[in-house]
Amino acid sequence: MAGAAVLRRSARGIARHIAAAPSLSRNALQQPERLLSSQASPEHGARGAVSGSELALYPPERVRNFSIIAHVDHGKSTLADRLLELTGTIQKGHGQPQYLDKLQVERERGITVKAQTATMFYRNTTASQDSDAPRYLLNLIDTPGHVDFSYEVSRSLAACQGALLVVDAAQGVQAQTIANFYLAFESNLSIIPVINKIDQPTADPDNVKDQLKRLFDIDPSEALLTSAKTGKGLEHVLPAVIERIPSPPGKCDSPVRMLLLDSYYDEYKGVICHVAVVDGALRKGDKIASAATGRAYEVLDVGIMHPELTPTGVLYTGQVGYVISGMRSTKEARIGDTLHQAKSIVEPLPGFKPAKHMVFSGLYPADGSDFEALSHAIEKLTCNDASVSVTKESSNALGMGFRCGFLGLLHMDVFHQRLEQEYGAQVISTIPTVPYIFEYGDGSKVQVENPAALASNPGKRITACWEPTVIATIIIPSEYVGPVIMLCSERRGEQLEYTFIDAQRAMLKYRLPLKEIIVDFYNELKGITSGYATFDYEDSEYEQSDLVKMDILLNGQPVDAMATIVHNQKAQRVGRELVEKLKKFIERQMFEITIQAAIGSKVIARETLSAMRKNVLAKCYGGDITRKKKLLEKQKEGKKRMKRVGSVDIPQEAFHELLKVSNSK
Amino acid sequence: MLRLAFPLVSHLPPRKPPPIRQRPPPARRYAASAATTSSTPSSPPPSHPPLPPSSAYVHLPFCRKRCHYCDFPIVALGSSSGTTPSRGEAADDPRIVDYVRLLLREVAATRPVSEDGVPLETVFFGGGTPSLVPPRLVAAVLDALRGRFGLSACPEVSIEMDPGTFDAARLRELVGVGVNRVSLGVQAFQEDLLRACGRAHGVKEVHEAVGIVTACEGLQNWSMDLISSLPNQTEEMWEESLRCTVDARPTHISVYDLQIEQGTKFGQMYTPGVFPLPSDTESANFYKIASKRLSEAGYNHYEISSYCKSGYECKHNLTYWQNRPFYAFGLGSASYINGVRYSRPRRMKEYAEWVQELEDGTWSHKSRSSDMKDMALDVVMLSLRTAWGLDLQSFSKSFGKSLALSLCNTFKPFVESGLVIAMDMERQALPHIDFELDLQNEGDFGSRVAFIRLSDPDGFLLSNELISLAFGIISP
Ligand SMILES: Nc1nc2c(ncn2[C@@H]2O[C@H](COP(=O)(O)OP(=O)(O)O)[C@@H](O)[C@H]2O)c(=O)[nH]1
Ligand SMILES: [Mg+2]
Repeated sequence: MAGAAVLRRSARGIARHIAAAPSLSRNALQQPERLLSSQASPEHGARGAVSGSELALYPPERVRNFSIIAHVDHGKSTLADRLLELTGTIQKGHGQPQYLDKLQVERERGITVKAQTATMFYRNTTASQDSDAPRYLLNLIDTPGHVDFSYEVSRSLAACQGALLVVDAAQGVQAQTIANFYLAFESNLSIIPVINKIDQPTADPDNVKDQLKRLFDIDPSEALLTSAKTGKGLEHVLPAVIERIPSPPGKCDSPVRMLLLDSYYDEYKGVICHVAVVDGALRKGDKIASAATGRAYEVLDVGIMHPELTPTGVLYTGQVGYVISGMRSTKEARIGDTLHQAKSIVEPLPGFKPAKHMVFSGLYPADGSDFEALSHAIEKLTCNDASVSVTKESSNALGMGFRCGFLGLLHMDVFHQRLEQEYGAQVISTIPTVPYIFEYGDGSKVQVENPAALASNPGKRITACWEPTVIATIIIPSEYVGPVIMLCSERRGEQLEYTFIDAQRAMLKYRLPLKEIIVDFYNELKGITSGYATFDYEDSEYEQSDLVKMDILLNGQPVDAMATIVHNQKAQRVGRELVEKLKKFIERQMFEITIQAAIGSKVIARETLSAMRKNVLAKCYGGDITRKKKLLEKQKEGKKRMKRVGSVDIPQEAFHELLKVSNSK
Repeated sequence: MLRLAFPLVSHLPPRKPPPIRQRPPPARRYAASAATTSSTPSSPPPSHPPLPPSSAYVHLPFCRKRCHYCDFPIVALGSSSGTTPSRGEAADDPRIVDYVRLLLREVAATRPVSEDGVPLETVFFGGGTPSLVPPRLVAAVLDALRGRFGLSACPEVSIEMDPGTFDAARLRELVGVGVNRVSLGVQAFQEDLLRACGRAHGVKEVHEAVGIVTACEGLQNWSMDLISSLPNQTEEMWEESLRCTVDARPTHISVYDLQIEQGTKFGQMYTPGVFPLPSDTESANFYKIASKRLSEAGYNHYEISSYCKSGYECKHNLTYWQNRPFYAFGLGSASYINGVRYSRPRRMKEYAEWVQELEDGTWSHKSRSSDMKDMALDVVMLSLRTAWGLDLQSFSKSFGKSLALSLCNTFKPFVESGLVIAMDMERQALPHIDFELDLQNEGDFGSRVAFIRLSDPDGFLLSNELISLAFGIISP
């Protein structure tokens, strides 16, 4: 059980604490012996006690590094469980829970956040009954399955030489199958197609083979047929890994050089880095340095994930494991960075990129007085998720707060969720926005991460604007093609591809403005396709666009936190919708309130909320004023919780509700 | 059966009508400052009113049955009681007798605040339905109060009475023992509405009761209670009730806006603002109609829910609104003595135990006495209910000029929009421009503006909003 908790690892530890019981994993980390030594492994003397000298028995030729990639629910986690059991890495049949993809955000959006990485020892006894058959060290390097983390995925894949592409035998290829295939393909991985869930009555492996042939040019004879549920066909998986996936390249006698795959913060041990050793060997006590920051560290602990942290004192060329080196924050452990022997000049491994923030929103304390608490919570959280950018900002309506940049929408949601669940922070978040680029008459360009920061009537004339776009892949049963094409064109999409992947299913590819999919797109897509659509996207380039800043005004006063940037053609509709929503959620006050949406000085939508008629307690009985006083005090407290712009009180729900307004309708 | 005709003989001489004043006394006695004339504006007033109470509230909780909107501490006697002939002493309900005994014990165990005997100016028998209590027992309570605290030469002694619970003899008896003001709980003049409220009387009893009260020798001062915003109440019904009320010519009228309280029958049945209850707009309209009709009929709207003929303010209630101390006796009643507000237990058993503790001297105020902030809140909340309004000079003296100034600043937009009225020393409304000039610096503040009040009816209608705004300033 505790083993499972430790396995719950995420890319960059983003979701680690949401569903996992942190205390459980902490215990496991502190007492690995107790948890592991109880059962003898078929391959090892005692599990958990893996010595450095044992690792020395696995030169690169005896190492395979691979990952499992799949569309959500196609059986990735279950297959991983089975492989870990098969190799005795985790205990079989002890009710190992299905521990991936249990996050609410994942379920809601149909994506995978978490990943697991584990080292297994395996002797191929199927090929020969010979007990001298060589033993292999297999590293299952899992990847998060969402575009927000595509950079992390690419780094994880960079440490692999092959991938198991798992496809549900009944559902066939879905959007994430395609996205994942291309990521793996571009990383030059050997791909082993695994058609899973063949035990299902509706399984149609031949159809899936056809799809794989048509879409990816995969030879049908390469596909393995499995049921991770019944165990059928599983015996062929690891032999195929050994046979079809090359061993890691790398020079054993060079100074150590390794790829930083992932990192997370542990309260007791500090930053724990997952690394793939590319060249040389890494030993406890070594001095290492980061290519990105130049900082040097001493290796305090090194080992493998088996699946818990298991100290070995050493990692050899091609092996994958963890390093603890006294880093204080995950900000020092940048994913994709190269760690290398200190004081030696090495070529950094290719592909390192700083985090790219695609979605921004303002985060404000829901109760104005809690700024310090929110500040503290954000600081703590970014300690574990260095990919969030945080800058202070202030708003006329919401006071002091933060502008945060996220890798994507899911990343933002997970961050919010963790702030609320782990730190009890009550936050108001402003409408998410994307980084737009505006060009002025004088040729200068600005990137706008906060719509309020763009002057409503700029002194300088705006001559051009650009917005980020994505390429979306949507797979649907063919009867839904019509409505989906409608939806995509409403969202300003440009069709790039429309093909049939088999007799019933179509694949659509669209270029869509990122802004159009960050609010409500997936839900709507699911809605119009009875839940059948699958959807994935990848970042694409900036495109020129006709964008305008829209202000929301209450009694003539702009509410900065409600400003948005919208496409000119949609401004009217979005403005109407925002204004109507606000009318519903702002309460009547003692004066009339006009709610307007405006572009520059031009009002495009307007509502008025008439003045309150009556709020009187015309009963004051027997001198017992305490109850009445309490009521008035309560009313006063209610007012205090409101956010005020000019003389208008805005309930916090109004801000929450605005987030739900689709900016694209 | 109620009888109207009665020998016009009373064993006590008829009481004088209450002294008539042109307007309510200014609210000058809050907190403490006014009493100690020596206190300077800067010196904080003492933490409790030094004045001994000159008012007493007495709770007589008995009703025949609970009305559907009522959440007061009452004791429902059932239908048998209440029609007891006034001289049927033998039939006194033992629950009433026992309760009055408790009351008398409480009075006896309550120490007067002042040793030198400031007599009571007002006594108010509220309920419940006090008219269900035999006059002899009411007299006993009055006697006890007189003995303990003294009664002034012509105190205001009010009693709440419900139609159908008394006859002329009973009323005459009450007047005979010193009652000189009646508050008649009519509520509505429509049979359907009375029934829907769960009232124990009908329209016929209302008219009979009005007849008895108006015919009663020695009783000039009486009030009628009405409730607006009842379920299914129409504008026509409301107009009719107001007309009937005016025709009955009470000296005082209380108009209550129905509040739906949790735990009442109405609370289970209805949602405020939702049919069959009137919408906020309709309900506001009822309020405005009352204000208009009663003003036309010569009544002053001197407090949010109170109207009176000139000089007939309820002196007892003014005690509350002027934040002056008062004694209270009986189940669930709230007193305000030595700066401490205390609400007695609302359950009979607990109340009885409490009286015992009081007698044993083992009870002490656990509630802390109000601090300055509490007192300022009380003053604002109570005075803004009245047409007299908030006396800024006195408020400044007690709580500081800057707080008074902040309050005025908060109300500035509403002086402009007419919900709040600023007045000078002569109680003439100030144009908002003059008001704002006054607020420009603390030095000038108060040179023109002397009072602020809520306007009638628009400001009164938004009193909760406006007062809670003030609360936000006093206790941020
Ligand atoms: N019938 C059947 N169900 C399976 C099989 N493999 C996985 N599942 C079920 O499919 C669901 C999704 O599996 P999971 O491993 O969480 O998928 P993932 O999202 O790709 O990690 C779970 O309910 C599994 O029990 C299989 O071979 N056959
Ligand atoms: Mg999974």
